[in-house]
Amino acid sequence: MVDPIVLLGGAAVSAVIGFGWLALAMDTHWEQVHGETSPSPAAVRALRVAGALALAVSLVFCLGADHPSMAALVWLMLLAGSATAIAATLSWQPRWLRLLWLRRGGDGR
Amino acid sequence: MFQNFRLSMAWLHTWFGLVLGFVLMVVFFYGSLSVFDREIDRWAIPSSRFAPQPMPSFDTILAPAFQKMQPAKEAVALLEGRVNGPLPERFEVVNSWGAYTTHRDPVVSVFAGFKVPNAKDPDETVFAVHALDPRSGAVLPQGQLRIGSEFFYPLHYSLHLTWKDLGYWIVGFSALMMLAALVSGVVMHRKIFREFFTFRRHKTVQRGALDLHNLTGVVALPFHFFFAFTGLVIFAGIYFPVAHTQLHDLHELHERVEARETGLPHERAGVAAPMASVDKMVAQAQRRWEAKGMAGDVGFVNVTHVGDANAYVSVYRAGTDRVALTGEGIHFKATTGELLRKDPPRTAVDSVNEFLTGLHLQHFRHWMLRWLYVLGGLLGCVCIATGFLFFVEKRKQQHAKAGGQGARIVDALAVTTVTGMLIATMAMLVANRLLPESLADKGEWERTVFWSAWGVAMVHAFVRGGAVARAGMNPAWREQCWLVAAGAMTAVVSNALTTGDHLARTISTGYWPVAGVDLSLLATAVVSVLVARKLARRAEQSTASATSTPLPKGGALGASMKNAEASHG
Repeated sequence: MVDPIVLLGGAAVSAVIGFGWLALAMDTHWEQVHGETSPSPAAVRALRVAGALALAVSLVFCLGADHPSMAALVWLMLLAGSATAIAATLSWQPRWLRLLWLRRGGDGR
Repeated sequence: MFQNFRLSMAWLHTWFGLVLGFVLMVVFFYGSLSVFDREIDRWAIPSSRFAPQPMPSFDTILAPAFQKMQPAKEAVALLEGRVNGPLPERFEVVNSWGAYTTHRDPVVSVFAGFKVPNAKDPDETVFAVHALDPRSGAVLPQGQLRIGSEFFYPLHYSLHLTWKDLGYWIVGFSALMMLAALVSGVVMHRKIFREFFTFRRHKTVQRGALDLHNLTGVVALPFHFFFAFTGLVIFAGIYFPVAHTQLHDLHELHERVEARETGLPHERAGVAAPMASVDKMVAQAQRRWEAKGMAGDVGFVNVTHVGDANAYVSVYRAGTDRVALTGEGIHFKATTGELLRKDPPRTAVDSVNEFLTGLHLQHFRHWMLRWLYVLGGLLGCVCIATGFLFFVEKRKQQHAKAGGQGARIVDALAVTTVTGMLIATMAMLVANRLLPESLADKGEWERTVFWSAWGVAMVHAFVRGGAVARAGMNPAWREQCWLVAAGAMTAVVSNALTTGDHLARTISTGYWPVAGVDLSLLATAVVSVLVARKLARRAEQSTASATSTPLPKGGALGASMKNAEASHG
């Protein structure tokens, strides 16, 4: 039995990372983070899949911590919080999101 | 009327959002504070600053306290004109005794309902309500206001407009229109996904405000929708009061039939009889829950027809481990302790209703979800506040040219409902700490301070609003931010001075209810100062450039306001 706090922490972290990846899959935000480049189509696909998966993982963590009815609420509210956090990061410190997806040479066009 | 659907939606969103936004701002903000109402109570009433306690023994602690209870003079005074003949000195016949607690309450709420002799309405009941220290059975002084649960929380759903329940209706109508505003907002917003993470705070104030409005509206859309909706579900009985108006007789008949079916007597027998041990009944109820795999604490104990042969005891479970607000009530015959009835398994409709109500009322034990609810509520506040700003920014140049006052009025009302509301809140907390404990009606004084401070903030906002009519910025925003900061600091300091519970002590002993309120106040102070300074810099720049063009640093207000709201818990 894992401590619920660890699971909820995991849920929060994966929700933030998931939204970070989904944001990076968008041209405007990719530019904010990586400068004047666009992501390659393959990178966009990968980012979207990874982002969606991370959000799903977050839900699994929530389900591990609480009764399903409670877990669904926690997850929805975490999504609201983490989307706000990513939007705020993009507005103030977009470069921080570099850590989420290190750009390889081939991505820039 | 409009060229297309989108335009008609925009009209609906703008005008209903503007008018009801002022109400919704209050509802959202005090709703957010209500998430921690019990903790604010601790802060406001130092004598209740101890650890949460389980439901105390009925036989040794609660029963003696109940026997001493009599309705307060104010409650009796309200009966004037509703009784044939004079009002009695003492109320002898007790309809019910109830004791209620939650996992966050050190004190138990105890209430006794008394039958009113010779009342014109035979169902007339007058209540005595107290907070009781479960360790000793002593009742706390009555003049003290539990600011969280008795002031902020009712403000959230009734605006304290009790005349003909007007407040309930205004809040309910606003919630209904909020659902419409959410739908029309989604229709108007063309780029929900493309601009999901977008906040361009370096562009104009108008752009920044709209981005933030969209962002906070969209990311918390499920929260906004569910809370408006479940709020309406909770008060459905008030909005559709058929049972007690058109269908009164049928309702009475239904109660009698139900009483026959459940075996719980609807009427007193008229024969006095002593009570058996209620503690044993409570213990039995807990054993039965455990056998069902729902072991839990007792949240509510109620005795109906006290002192009569028909008396019965109902024991309900505290709902700390699930969202649904389910009591699993078990009822006993009070004279013998014999089991009368267990609440039957719920139907699907009941379960949905309990889930929806529980989602909103949050009796569960889950600190993270509580804070996320605060976040959701504050995102709602940001959404409404930026809506006002956008409205003003979009129109003020035009109004200034035409000599209109519309933008000025809306802006002043926005100041009143954003910073003015914070000033009123801070003033109340400061008054709570500085007024002497011995003051009779201390709670009434605190209420007066609250409303007066808000009124003064409103006058200030209107008086200083001339700049908006010239397409400028109302300096009241900045000045009130300073006041909020000063009020928050004063509250923290006066708490430390009057109770000795300064942050070093509350944090080191882990008394989070008080430490949390103090820390939230400090955070509010810090953010208010940052906002005030940013606004001051902008005002300087605009006088320096002396033009009426929007400033490059636009959106900073929205941004910092967001922080101001977000850090206020």
